[in-house]
Amino acid sequence: MSNAKSNSKSKAEAATTATLSPAGDNSNHSGQTVTANEIGVPPAPGPVRSNDRQLPASLLTPPAPPPPPHLEDYQPIIGQAQVDALRFLAREVKGKTIKMVNSTSVGGGVAEMLNRLVPLLSELEVPAHWDVITGGNDFFEVTKAFHNALHGSSYTLTKAAQEIFLMYNEQNRERMQFGEDMVVIHDPQPAALIRSCEKSRAHWVWRCHIDLSNPDRNVWEFLRPFVEQYDAAIFSSQSFARQLPIPQYLFYPCIDPLSEKNKELDDAQVQKVCDELGIDRSRPIVTQVSRFDRLKDPVGVVQAYKLARKYVDCQLVLAGGGAKDDPEGAMVLQEVKQVAGNDPDIIILDLPPWCAREINAIQRASTLIVQKSIREGFGLTVTEALWKGKPTIAGAVGGIPNQIIHKLTGVLVHSVEGCAFQIRYLLTHPEFARRIGAAGREHVKENFLMTTNVKRWLLLFRILQRHGRGATSSDSH
Amino acid sequence: MLGSGNGRIAQISECGKLTMNRMPAADQPPRTPEKPFFFNTSEHLLRIGREKATALPALLEALRTCPDDSIFQHTFRTLQEHHFIRQGFSNDFAHWSLSHCHEPVLAEQLAGVDVREFTAISGLRRRIIEIVSDFLEKHPHANSHQANEPFYFCSSDIVVLPTPFVAHSTAEFLEGLRQVSVHSIHHHFIEARLRLHLMSNDFSQWLEEEVGLRHVADAIERIDIYTNTMEGVRQQIVRMVEQALN
Repeated sequence: MSNAKSNSKSKAEAATTATLSPAGDNSNHSGQTVTANEIGVPPAPGPVRSNDRQLPASLLTPPAPPPPPHLEDYQPIIGQAQVDALRFLAREVKGKTIKMVNSTSVGGGVAEMLNRLVPLLSELEVPAHWDVITGGNDFFEVTKAFHNALHGSSYTLTKAAQEIFLMYNEQNRERMQFGEDMVVIHDPQPAALIRSCEKSRAHWVWRCHIDLSNPDRNVWEFLRPFVEQYDAAIFSSQSFARQLPIPQYLFYPCIDPLSEKNKELDDAQVQKVCDELGIDRSRPIVTQVSRFDRLKDPVGVVQAYKLARKYVDCQLVLAGGGAKDDPEGAMVLQEVKQVAGNDPDIIILDLPPWCAREINAIQRASTLIVQKSIREGFGLTVTEALWKGKPTIAGAVGGIPNQIIHKLTGVLVHSVEGCAFQIRYLLTHPEFARRIGAAGREHVKENFLMTTNVKRWLLLFRILQRHGRGATSSDSH
Repeated sequence: MLGSGNGRIAQISECGKLTMNRMPAADQPPRTPEKPFFFNTSEHLLRIGREKATALPALLEALRTCPDDSIFQHTFRTLQEHHFIRQGFSNDFAHWSLSHCHEPVLAEQLAGVDVREFTAISGLRRRIIEIVSDFLEKHPHANSHQANEPFYFCSSDIVVLPTPFVAHSTAEFLEGLRQVSVHSIHHHFIEARLRLHLMSNDFSQWLEEEVGLRHVADAIERIDIYTNTMEGVRQQIVRMVEQALN
């Protein structure tokens, strides 16, 4: 790929939208096209992009996963004092055992988190075991419907769906042993395993990763009697919780600073990825990383970029995925291409899910990062951006306000116009941008790293251990 | 240190601004401490409470009934969670009043509450209630405004932990100060008054009682936690003790 900057004139005249997909589906788009000239910005130099580019071959197959890091590997990041605190915390529950149960061993944030959490707990001499429930397609269809219904989608709960849910939970319950000191059930799929609590000495904890603020009433009323039998529940945000008779704790989701997506990269590595993907680092880069999903409002991001471009020179990178496997994602990608038109400074990347290092490099190359979601769970892409010290603009939805304190650790927006203004402001006020970026990174370091999550689990384990089964921590207050 | 005069010293703060702090008056030469200083730290687990407010009158009601733990969480504890912010963040009640109720006057009044003026949660609670109550009385329009987002009352389960640092001398005290986490600084410097029920902190107590550095102890107590990061607080304490020893 040429990185020549001498042909900006011909590039602007051609004004093609550069899009990439792993399959090389880089078709031309004939919808509304707005060129840089039409929005009043003179063409700026940049790398050559053409419609026949494909992702580098190295990105077309997943790399082998690296081994999980050890606790000491985190010391340069969090400091020796925090490592010491983890060891002290673990001392009281040394030798006690934990079982984590969820519904999938690969894919998704929960599995990703457990992959790191379980070895770290074991390294702290709190042996942790991770079990995955099994079920047929019918079970997972029901639990996916439950998941969506708990998020607020309309759903008719049938007797048959309830029976399928209970049958598979019962099968798993009979198959599994619960001899540990703490059993943690993740999400609704295995929630009915709590029926084994009578025969178990363990403290049972329900870790709910989804937003229960506006659930389908019937599905929630079906699940509630199970949830109420647990010793404690954990939610990812205050607003996701329900009124329950058991103690509810707040565990923010977290990122691993040593994962491929978040570890430090040197400048050569960042440059290499930018060269491969045709991103010009000599000009400001505004990036949104997210699936091509309407709830992430990628169309709104393009509109905001176009408004901002009237005043400031920048490129827009939309790096996402999901368009190949998800028909709706493919539709959204087409909509984004339509709105992007043939602007050569809009770079749309439909990346395969294993491109964590490339995402990392794109984020690090960015001048600022946008996450203009309309609805959001916690918004871990915001956490990733903050961790990289990037000034971040994000929609004030879901768990994002927990991460972005307006004008202190980032900026919150509520509209396309607000997003456009903040892009302009941050690009023209680099000292303010630097300051909120630095505070954002500290916020993540304090609250949203994997090691903080390990600490929360150890704290919870200690607190539960001090109370007998059936007692709650609030009894002590 | 740039110079001194009239009992004040000028120093360059972390952000490069010239700030004036009162210079500690001279103490007697430091004594060898009889009792060591044990550096501890505290860790907190956030518990989601039952109270929720969607408007200022509901906040006022919840302030009257919520557990002490919740008042602690949203004032003392939130300072630790946001220890890296130098200015613009004081407590969760002020932040919510501004961000979600759009009431800057109330936000400023609440932000002006210095947790270090209180040695018990009951007094702090009374002060916050008084501010919100007075505001609603003087600004009746605010009674009917709904907040953009609710205020969720939380609280903390706290575990106090030892650290490897125990100071038997001022040199070891300085070393401990430099090495412990900012959580430990917060524990000894800010939360301490709830334990001591004194308008003081663990560092000042030890420096005065065990080392005889009364003026340094007083100067440390006057460090402004609302215009400093907790790391900045640490550095100021270190500087003050170093200066007294040199």
